[in-house]
Amino acid sequence: MSDIVEKTLTALPGLFLQNQSVGGPAGVKASFSSRLGGLVRGITALTSKHEEEKLIQQELSSLKATVSAPTTTLKMMKECMVRLIYCEMLGYDASFGYIHAIKLAQQGNLLEKRVGYLAVSLFLHENHELLLLLVNTVVKDLQSTNLVEVCMALTIVSQIFPREMIPAVLPLIEDKLQHSKEIIRRKAVLALYKFYLIAPNQVQHIHIKFRKALCDRDVGVMAASLHIYFRMIKENSSGYKDLTGSFVTILKQVVGGKLPVDFNYHSVPAPWLQIQLLRILGLLGKDDQRTSELMYDVLDESLRRAELNHNVTYAILFECVHTVYSIYPKSELLEKAAKCIGKFVLSPKINLKYLGLKALTYVIQQDPTLALQHQMTIIECLDHPDPIIKRETLELLYRITNAQNVIVIVQKMLEYLHQSKEEYIIVNLVGKIAELAEKYAPDNAWFIQTMNAVFSVGGDVMHPDIPNNFMRLLAEGFDDETEDQQLRLYAVQSYLTLLDVENVFYPQKFLQVMSWVDASLSF
Amino acid sequence: MQFMLLFSRQGKLRLQKWYVPLSDKEKKKITRELVQTVLARKPKMCTFLEWRDLKIVYKRYASLYFCCAIEGQDLELITLEIIHRYVELLDKYFGSVCELDIIFNFEKAYFILDEFLLGGEVQETSKKNVLKAIEQADLQEEAETPCSVLEEIGLT
Repeated sequence: MSDIVEKTLTALPGLFLQNQSVGGPAGVKASFSSRLGGLVRGITALTSKHEEEKLIQQELSSLKATVSAPTTTLKMMKECMVRLIYCEMLGYDASFGYIHAIKLAQQGNLLEKRVGYLAVSLFLHENHELLLLLVNTVVKDLQSTNLVEVCMALTIVSQIFPREMIPAVLPLIEDKLQHSKEIIRRKAVLALYKFYLIAPNQVQHIHIKFRKALCDRDVGVMAASLHIYFRMIKENSSGYKDLTGSFVTILKQVVGGKLPVDFNYHSVPAPWLQIQLLRILGLLGKDDQRTSELMYDVLDESLRRAELNHNVTYAILFECVHTVYSIYPKSELLEKAAKCIGKFVLSPKINLKYLGLKALTYVIQQDPTLALQHQMTIIECLDHPDPIIKRETLELLYRITNAQNVIVIVQKMLEYLHQSKEEYIIVNLVGKIAELAEKYAPDNAWFIQTMNAVFSVGGDVMHPDIPNNFMRLLAEGFDDETEDQQLRLYAVQSYLTLLDVENVFYPQKFLQVMSWVDASLSF
Repeated sequence: MQFMLLFSRQGKLRLQKWYVPLSDKEKKKITRELVQTVLARKPKMCTFLEWRDLKIVYKRYASLYFCCAIEGQDLELITLEIIHRYVELLDKYFGSVCELDIIFNFEKAYFILDEFLLGGEVQETSKKNVLKAIEQADLQEEAETPCSVLEEIGLT
């Protein structure tokens, strides 16, 4: 059946190419005269947001009338749907159109169905009440003899589907796992992946079928199954150790260039596949010497092969390094990986430098000397113009703080804090500074001063534990009675001074701390 | 991947694909703030951001910013390649793609994206396979409605 469809399809282009090529520039020209084209040009011509609102509201009213009119054909509906998507993208509400999107997917021909499904995937969300209406259409399309319709149904299922209705389509999709066409098998696997994400217990019984997908003769289907395996292994790696050999073999084949040339991306064989396999191996080899031993060879080869200077090679290298550090350690591999990290950190390319710093942060526990090797670069990065690099460096320094360098590091952190406006960063950093101050404070004065700085910047967004711990610390004190007295005295004095300063605004929590300290400790 | 946004240098949204369930309000807020943050970055800076609890990977192609949000798993570099691959696909399909192609044919851009990334994950298929799937569907469209060709040219 599909052969006949294919033959028909291949015969058709000759008929149509004279008038319109598929997609491409001719397609664009056609769109210029479309209603969407008119709308877009209309918007672009306007200069103010107010005018845009007016125009869109006009458009939406006219669309609302059209979609509800009984005389509107499906073809017109498709055209309206595109404009509705556009309006929603600009931020306006077009919810009156949602039901019509579903109807379009249900009743339309291929062309219209495609737009209908697209609209549904963009308009609705998982818990939307209208989503249930889609299920019948999906069931019908899954059983269609037209493969394109089957593909569309599988695509929509992988994007958005009501969890309660999974049993209605599950057998149909399972069936597709054995379809002769690899595109169908691949999409079926991804639909099941989606089900695994939203309702894992519903797909428990078909794990055996995933194994078949893993051994599928088509690379695409096999690669799709890896998404499911990654999740399952993440949750329970011990259940899948027996597959380690298979994953290693597949990776060996990919790295060795045994895949069809089609799968190369800029001369690198199937990079996404390599990375997915590396991540899986990283999970399987963790804390497990025997399993890790199975992968040393292929990891070594991956590290060696990634010689080209393309971004994608760096991506694979980085993942390799990550895996080498996750699994049971092997010194030769660790050495090579460390060299790689070094190259990243010293790279003039800023993205790679960022990743080098990140890698250092990750490996710092296992290999503290590596950071020392690159300390010059790290210090330079502290003053880098890019705030992202600076922050990553501070992350790294936070992990190597000790009693000797705490003053410098905390000072740099406070500097960064003062120029940061993002709440998330402030909360995070304030927490870290408080922790370091408590752990490594060289003397009382510094401790109180630092905590004061933390309170004034962290203010009301910081975690309540911070001021609470601080107050508790002052109340309970350390072992040395005289030290405690001095600490408290210093605290009380400094707060009295601060409160005396006029025209200064202190955050609420800071004021609370100050008042508590002065009230309870000044005797 | 959590979501992908395409926007112009003026901050106008050209494409939005969300792979996680979020309310409309949240989506709008995220879009607004993220667009501002990315537009504020200077050319020489890192094209990775840590924004709230997400990792953002972005790349600018001519007048369009492609912006992806990923969960924390150190996949920044490969996400850059996902973006690049998507641009390559668009380029092959539209023939030297430009922002206008994406504006006026955004539904086609979505179709291509959905063949390439399904549920936020890359379907590892060769470039040829992705485009073949789109072209097959396109051809079927033309086969089903031959009159649409004439209409487009304005002859009906």
